[in-house]
Amino acid sequence: MTLTLILEQTFNGLQAGVTLFLVAAGLTLILGIMDVVFLAHGAQVMIGAYAAAAVAAATGNFYIGLFLAIPVTFASGYVLEFLLIRHLYRRDHMEQVLATFGLILFFNELIRIGFGPAALYSDLPRSLSGFVEILPGAPYPIYRLWVILVGLACAIGIHIFVSRTRIGAMVRAGANNPEMTAALGINIKILFRFIFAVGACFAGVAGMMLGPITAVQPGMGEPLLILSLVVIIIGGVGSVRGAFIAAIIVGLIDTLGRVFLPAMLRSVVDQATADGAGPAVASMLVYITMAVVLIFRPTGLFPAKG
Amino acid sequence: MKKAFTIAALAAAITLAPAHAETVKIGYMTTLSGGAGIIGKQMQNAVELALEHKGGKLGGMDADVVFVDDQRKPDVAKQLANRLVKSDRVDVVAGIIWSNLLEAVHKPVTRSDILLISSNAGPSTVAGEGCHKNFFSMSWQNDQTPEAMGKHMQDAGIKSVYLMAPNYQAGKDMLSGFKRYYKGNVKAEVYTKLGQSDFQPELSALRATAPEATMVFQPGGMGINFVKQWKQAGMDGVSKLYQVFTVDGVSLPALKESALGILGTQTWSPDLNNAINNKFVADYKAKFGGYPSFYAAQAYDTILAIDHAIAKSGSKDTDKMRAVLAAGNIPTTRGLLKMNSNHFPIQNIYLRETVKDADGIVTTRVTETVFTDHADSYAAKCKF
Amino acid sequence: MSGIRNLIGLVYEGVKDNRLLWLLIIGFALFPIITHFADLPFWNDVAMRIMLLGMAAMGLNLVLGYGGMVSFGHAAFIGIGAYCAGISQFYGITNGWVHLGFSIITCGFAGLVIGYLALRTSGIYFIMITLAFAQMLFFLFVSLEAFGGDDGMSIDRAEFGFIDLYDPLRLYFLIWIALVVVGMGLMFIVRSRFGVTLRAIKSNASRVEAMGLSPLRFKIVGYVISAVVCGIAGTLFASWQEYVSPDIMHWTRSGELMIIIILGGLGTLAGPLLGAIVFLLLEECLPLLLGAAAPAYAENWMILFGPLLIMVVMFGRGGLIGLLSQLQVRRNARSDHRGP
Repeated sequence: MTLTLILEQTFNGLQAGVTLFLVAAGLTLILGIMDVVFLAHGAQVMIGAYAAAAVAAATGNFYIGLFLAIPVTFASGYVLEFLLIRHLYRRDHMEQVLATFGLILFFNELIRIGFGPAALYSDLPRSLSGFVEILPGAPYPIYRLWVILVGLACAIGIHIFVSRTRIGAMVRAGANNPEMTAALGINIKILFRFIFAVGACFAGVAGMMLGPITAVQPGMGEPLLILSLVVIIIGGVGSVRGAFIAAIIVGLIDTLGRVFLPAMLRSVVDQATADGAGPAVASMLVYITMAVVLIFRPTGLFPAKG
Repeated sequence: MKKAFTIAALAAAITLAPAHAETVKIGYMTTLSGGAGIIGKQMQNAVELALEHKGGKLGGMDADVVFVDDQRKPDVAKQLANRLVKSDRVDVVAGIIWSNLLEAVHKPVTRSDILLISSNAGPSTVAGEGCHKNFFSMSWQNDQTPEAMGKHMQDAGIKSVYLMAPNYQAGKDMLSGFKRYYKGNVKAEVYTKLGQSDFQPELSALRATAPEATMVFQPGGMGINFVKQWKQAGMDGVSKLYQVFTVDGVSLPALKESALGILGTQTWSPDLNNAINNKFVADYKAKFGGYPSFYAAQAYDTILAIDHAIAKSGSKDTDKMRAVLAAGNIPTTRGLLKMNSNHFPIQNIYLRETVKDADGIVTTRVTETVFTDHADSYAAKCKF
Repeated sequence: MSGIRNLIGLVYEGVKDNRLLWLLIIGFALFPIITHFADLPFWNDVAMRIMLLGMAAMGLNLVLGYGGMVSFGHAAFIGIGAYCAGISQFYGITNGWVHLGFSIITCGFAGLVIGYLALRTSGIYFIMITLAFAQMLFFLFVSLEAFGGDDGMSIDRAEFGFIDLYDPLRLYFLIWIALVVVGMGLMFIVRSRFGVTLRAIKSNASRVEAMGLSPLRFKIVGYVISAVVCGIAGTLFASWQEYVSPDIMHWTRSGELMIIIILGGLGTLAGPLLGAIVFLLLEECLPLLLGAAAPAYAENWMILFGPLLIMVVMFGRGGLIGLLSQLQVRRNARSDHRGP
């Protein structure tokens, strides 16, 4: 277990965390401001990935794929909010869970009919394949570094937007107290639609980033969804800052946990037990963390609503 | 004279009159909806192709195949099995992709005195202590393919290997099968999360260990992710990649060139040279546009087996079909398939390499035979 | 004597107020007669699955519908109940009563622990923490290689003394009796002071607190009861399926239970059972329908299911029970119009 390896794994954890943040950011705003449990957020990731992969395959250019996929995901979020989500604001959580669960089934099946059940072919763009030695003896894929940079850029962008702009102020007010915000005469309807579309957009970007390195297939967003829900709970619903910190924590715990935990266990118990229990505990690690956080801080680390 | 003539005429009429053909009803269960539906679809395609090749008749009887979708859920599978047996009154139940579903439907079908023929699943319990005379496998026992991989790497003198599989029963079976034949240095045995999509952390750890070879089992979408990321991380320069059930007819269309050069073991390959297989692969490609996977080949063989059983025994009676199948020598895409005492095949296992064919399409090709007439390791535990 | 008369009186009142529930239960008792004459015995299997799913949903409904606690973890209790039967069989204990006892104790304990930890939170946090516990239990059972891991184990049906469960009708009526017991029990609980308090907590917990009662304690008790009911359903399910595996406790199964409850009608006794009937029938019929209408897309039947769910949420206020009572109101109004 060398320093190089630990550093490399930390980068991996950062990359995982930053991807999670892209998905969690939209989700925490949707849940915090509009109080909607939007389970179909994973579907937005899938839509982004498919849009980018399809355009890239048609034009032969990865960047055009990205460029055109962004407005596509923004539009899908905007339309979805207008058609369905705005009717769910007054409903209780369980009804929202069911309606958005139905949406997941619908989108997955739609993609399956449109693109077939098999995974789509997608690969790294030439310009971003290759390695960079972050430390001597530790070549790290350039693409993953790029993902970290894009994610951080988005995080900074969201931060500036939320804390320095007028619309951002409205978003913060909406997260803190929606009724008062509406009472102050702000067009809540358009604000909500905008927030939803932006959230969808970021989720789509996560999907676009993941496309070249993972399988672009129906249902690819669901594992990210569960993990993002955990992230926003730990971070505190409605707080983008909380989502960022929690996403990095979760990314690091998940990554470092699953590579180092089995080895650590081996020093405590015998090899056979460690090999058997290690992976099981590693998968539970993130949930255990969330449960522990909730027991001590029932509303997360940085809840938006005081 | 007249009487003899009449009798002769009657006899001639009886023997020459077209007999009303009996129908054999087959219940074919796979996963058609949901994420794994593509596998079920390939198997369904193969079954339909087999029926086409046989002119819609198996062993001379009209064939009626009922396709059912188990949705990959054990309780749905169990209910469907009951329906096929009690309501549709099928003569044979066949198909079944997943080991857990096989465990769920095994008892209800076999104790109703109906043959259960698996086109894919082959858990050790069904091969060993939990065996039943009415069960037949037209695929393999789960451990066999990794055992062949272990033997190959042992014989090739590979000193150290790094193992990776998802953390579920099949994953554990694969690695224990491998270790049964490989006696070199296993540097690590890593179990990843089922459904995991990002393997970069595991690859980083692997690079630090620098094993001579890496053997992985990552089926389905996990395999696509793994191989892609392996290539993107430049791991070919660190270790040689071997695999079982990771690169196959289902994942190759998504991997394309990134899978080139990877070695794996399997009981079948599209380029196996015998009349049945050549016709199967050529017609499958022509009709469905793309190479069949091993799932499809096994589904095709299942229909051939039923045809063989009825033709040789002259009836669709369970006892008679069982006797024929147990005797083996069933004509399939793998040649004449022999049967072991626990009704699992005794077959060759080949080393395959991913290559490009004459048309530039990526597929697998046999490079050597690792095991000839290999039997599974659980047959001794099976007592009917 | 008067005690028994009181009891009978209470039962009568209860049944009268919950006619639909008992109508359905009696329907289930008579169902095998129909399948016998129509020679469709496999439909008994569907009916058994419906009864078991309905039973579990009724348990969840106690906390979800009446108590307002959206628990994503109840499939775990079904799984624990099933594994109580499975593990007992593994060690050679075939007595069904032992299985049930084991299941009640284990699920009660698990419900107590999880409830105590989870009920400190509320809203989305509660949903997530129950999901987390369910996932942890799922991963735990997947890693238990001795019991088959995720491949599961094939087991025999339990033995309930003189009742041979391999005779299909015996199992059917055993499940039916369990449904009656559960239905009766839940009916009493809901109508009791405990049930009323639970419902009061759902609508206004602080008022209940002001009365000097501890909402948390009531919620935990309700949670434990619902866990035990799910556990019983799970134990019987293991016998029906003759197989146990971690699949039954995956969080998507909890989602299915919620769909069933909302389909039937939240916070009603008959709702979950009605929902189970409709849900499983949909699972059988949608693929057939789509196969007939558009055979090329038969496998994509879930594309109909999604929007169906959405429509139920959007338009089906109060689920099917709500729909039925709306029709009833309209019929009464119409008859009123017609005059005396």
